[in-house]
Amino acid sequence: MMNRTIKGIVWGVMLLVLVLYPWLFGIYYTNVFVIFAIFALYAISYNLLLGFTGLFSFGHAMFFGAGAYATALALTHIEGCPLLVALLFGFLGSVCLALLLAPIVARLAHSAFAMLHLAFSMLMYTLALKLRGITGGEDGIGGFPIPPFRIPGVVSVDMTDPLNFYYFAIAVLGGSLWIAWFLTKTPFGQIIVSVRDNDKRVDYMGFKVPQTKTVIYALSCGFAGVAGSMYAMFQNLISAAALGIGNSFAPIVMTMVGGVTSFFGPIWGAAIFAIIEELTSRYTERVLLVNGLVLIIVVLFFPGGFMHLVGIIKGKWLGFIRAQWFAKRSRKKATEDDS
Amino acid sequence: MNILETKRLYHDFNRLEVLFDVNLKVKEGERHAIIGPNGAGKTTLFNVITGTYEPSRGAVFFKGEEVTGSKPHHMVRLGMGRSFQITSTFSRLTAFQNIRMGVLSARGIRFNLFRKVDKMEDITKETDEILERINLYGERDVPASALSYGKHRSLEISMALATNPDVVMLDEPTAGMSKDETRYAIELIRRLTEGKTAVIIEHDMDVVFSLADRITVLHLGEILASGPPDQIRENQAVKNAYLGETEG
Repeated sequence: MMNRTIKGIVWGVMLLVLVLYPWLFGIYYTNVFVIFAIFALYAISYNLLLGFTGLFSFGHAMFFGAGAYATALALTHIEGCPLLVALLFGFLGSVCLALLLAPIVARLAHSAFAMLHLAFSMLMYTLALKLRGITGGEDGIGGFPIPPFRIPGVVSVDMTDPLNFYYFAIAVLGGSLWIAWFLTKTPFGQIIVSVRDNDKRVDYMGFKVPQTKTVIYALSCGFAGVAGSMYAMFQNLISAAALGIGNSFAPIVMTMVGGVTSFFGPIWGAAIFAIIEELTSRYTERVLLVNGLVLIIVVLFFPGGFMHLVGIIKGKWLGFIRAQWFAKRSRKKATEDDS
Repeated sequence: MNILETKRLYHDFNRLEVLFDVNLKVKEGERHAIIGPNGAGKTTLFNVITGTYEPSRGAVFFKGEEVTGSKPHHMVRLGMGRSFQITSTFSRLTAFQNIRMGVLSARGIRFNLFRKVDKMEDITKETDEILERINLYGERDVPASALSYGKHRSLEISMALATNPDVVMLDEPTAGMSKDETRYAIELIRRLTEGKTAVIIEHDMDVVFSLADRITVLHLGEILASGPPDQIRENQAVKNAYLGETEG
């Protein structure tokens, strides 16, 4: 009961900070936060595959990109396309791409799964570069109109205002994170972690493994698509770079650094890299150098990532408090016994 | 009635014949032991029946229907559970979660994305009951990989039974256990398979003769004899091929 109250307070405070964030930190850091939140969702979507289902992919960027391009194309070509419909296009674009690939990849695992995704994402990258008529090639698609958030007859909010967009982004990304988290708590969530641990036995427990993988794959890619879609709308530009190998490795690195075994680990990973980028870019352009060093340090010394480190510290701290308490109690007992 | 039957079953690995004209008959409600020296094809027979491999020739009948070449998950849904000789649990999941997978499967809960599994109280209750029955309630929240060997084996066997099968196939349930653990495991199996049909591969002759209603002896991929324990004990061919070796 007590725990619940504390949890409620913590969530309340976090919500309050999120709401007041633009006033507390100004519009520049608000935009930094939106980018962080987009990558947090992207990393979480990746970890649904890696951490929860045990599927290692080197090409998650193609789903981020599919979402981004689907939204950008919808906004460019459909006159008066509403905001949420554009977002839906992003989600469905990635899900469709995932379902297209699923018959091939759902029966694979390990390095075959990883390498095939690398190949497909390179293919998508090349297509985005070469199909200039559709994708705009290297220049990408930009300058498309960002429609207002409108509920007919009720409200119409201008999304070109960064402040309004911030609230929209927080709602969409936060909602997606919650759905993804809830997913891991359902019976289906149990089946996917079982696939990670021992897919052969899952079959012998009466569950279909390829179908299970297909569902989580499509959902994970859909969330990556939502992240991509938000990215496209936020930047008002999407180019082939978003499909590149660098963007495929971003969620891997974030997940590794944040902690692969925990649901919230990748969010910490995204936060750590956002902070590193913000701090190092003040002094040098070689942000990747620092990112790489951090990754090396984490892999060498804390293979469980940031969440694991927190766990250790928490354990030590709690252990210390508990030891103090026991010592106090036994001392008290000793004096009582004496008298 | 034969709940499980194989007809003229053959299997080969790259032309190496492992099963040769196997006609296994398992009656409903009996404990049927399959024995045989190493390499007799016992586990291969299990693999062909439970759907790991498709047999190269012959047919498998389960509950009167032909199921030759059906996938494992299909066999489980028809009511056949299986445990493995080499422990094969979900290592990072707790004992509770491992058993719960079976309970979820038995109830046909698969693609439920709208309810928290921890809030499904009937599932939790049933899982806890199973844990108590197999004496693992004390290790409820211990990851499977951290269980002691004997308990890990108990979990392995119980996962097969948690899917609530009509026929349970146990591949050397006592593999690698000490004498005490074996005795305990046998009691457990006796208790848990009450009223069910069980097919058990076993090496320990004491276990086989005390537990089984019927015994099938497999030797070099062929059935040498099949019948009640007394009959098998007296069978000369079996003595020569198998019992003779172990009893000197």
